[in-house]
Amino acid sequence: MPSNDNLARIIAGCKEGDAESFSELIDIYAGRCYGYFYRLTGRRDVSDDLLGELFVKLVEKIGTFKGGSFECWLFRIASNIFHDYLRGRQRQRKLFEAGKEQLELKLAEANESEADAIDKLQIQLGKLDIDTRELIMLRFYSQASFKEIAAMRSEPIGTTLSKVHRGLKKLRELMER
Amino acid sequence: MNENEENMKELFERFFDSEQAEEIERDIRKGEQILGQYPAPEPDRELIADIKAEVAAEAVIDRKANAFRRMVYKTAAVAAAVIIITAISVRLFESRPYPTGRDEKGASVPEKVIAGAVIPESLWESEDLAADDTDLAILTAEIEQIEEEILASGLGENGGNGGEDITELEIELIAINSDFWKG
Repeated sequence: MPSNDNLARIIAGCKEGDAESFSELIDIYAGRCYGYFYRLTGRRDVSDDLLGELFVKLVEKIGTFKGGSFECWLFRIASNIFHDYLRGRQRQRKLFEAGKEQLELKLAEANESEADAIDKLQIQLGKLDIDTRELIMLRFYSQASFKEIAAMRSEPIGTTLSKVHRGLKKLRELMER
Repeated sequence: MNENEENMKELFERFFDSEQAEEIERDIRKGEQILGQYPAPEPDRELIADIKAEVAAEAVIDRKANAFRRMVYKTAAVAAAVIIITAISVRLFESRPYPTGRDEKGASVPEKVIAGAVIPESLWESEDLAADDTDLAILTAEIEQIEEEILASGLGENGGNGGEDITELEIELIAINSDFWKG
């Protein structure tokens, strides 16, 4: 993670349209954003597309960033892109069902490698409702505080806390089975 | 583990009792530990290279668009300033006391037309133009004199060459006529 000063310098460069600054920003956040999309969709091809869309959107929107937490700002855009994707396809449920089936197939084929562990988490995540799953992923990958996440989602902090707690507790139970 | 460290226990105690808050905090930390144990795949290098290339191209387009937008805004600002200054100037001009075409109450009145008279008022109201207009009187006298000379020449009373005299008189008549019309 860059220091605040370094991040501010990179963001200032991006606002000037400097391609090198955008490149640095991509290096810093691509992994986390990709993980966020992958854990929500369970598909690498879709995650590839959404990640590209996110950074192109970043170029368009960087001028509107007025300070505060850059991670919150970036993941709010990522969240909007994910919701647009779901709405665009109009197959939210089908997507997750298809994703689940695909992952179950992979799991059956896989041995006890690390890939097996990744798939297992993905399958168990698929058993959570989409809102809870997105909330947990937002918390984990954006590394934002509960207060910031509540603000991002325009909901009371008590609601956010309660959803995250219930979701993570359920995920742990599913993973321990 | 979340990097954005916050005192979760203190936060949860706002909503739950101390024992519950402790349990919730433990649940959340354990759940997040599981997520940390199963890292998501990383994006391919080719994908990152493609995204960087696309973003660089977009950045160039965006920079050009911004430059154009700034130019348009500047032009619009200058145009707006000119319009405002013109509007203020017109307003100041109109706010003079008793502006042209209005009376002291601001009501519209026909404007007074001032034009130079071609014919003097004394002549316009005269009953005998030939007597009152000096120029016309002089002309009349000259014509009468020329008539007399023509007549005398025709009769050979002046003892000269009749034909030449008449020609001279005609020239003189033309000159008088020209002078009259010149004023």
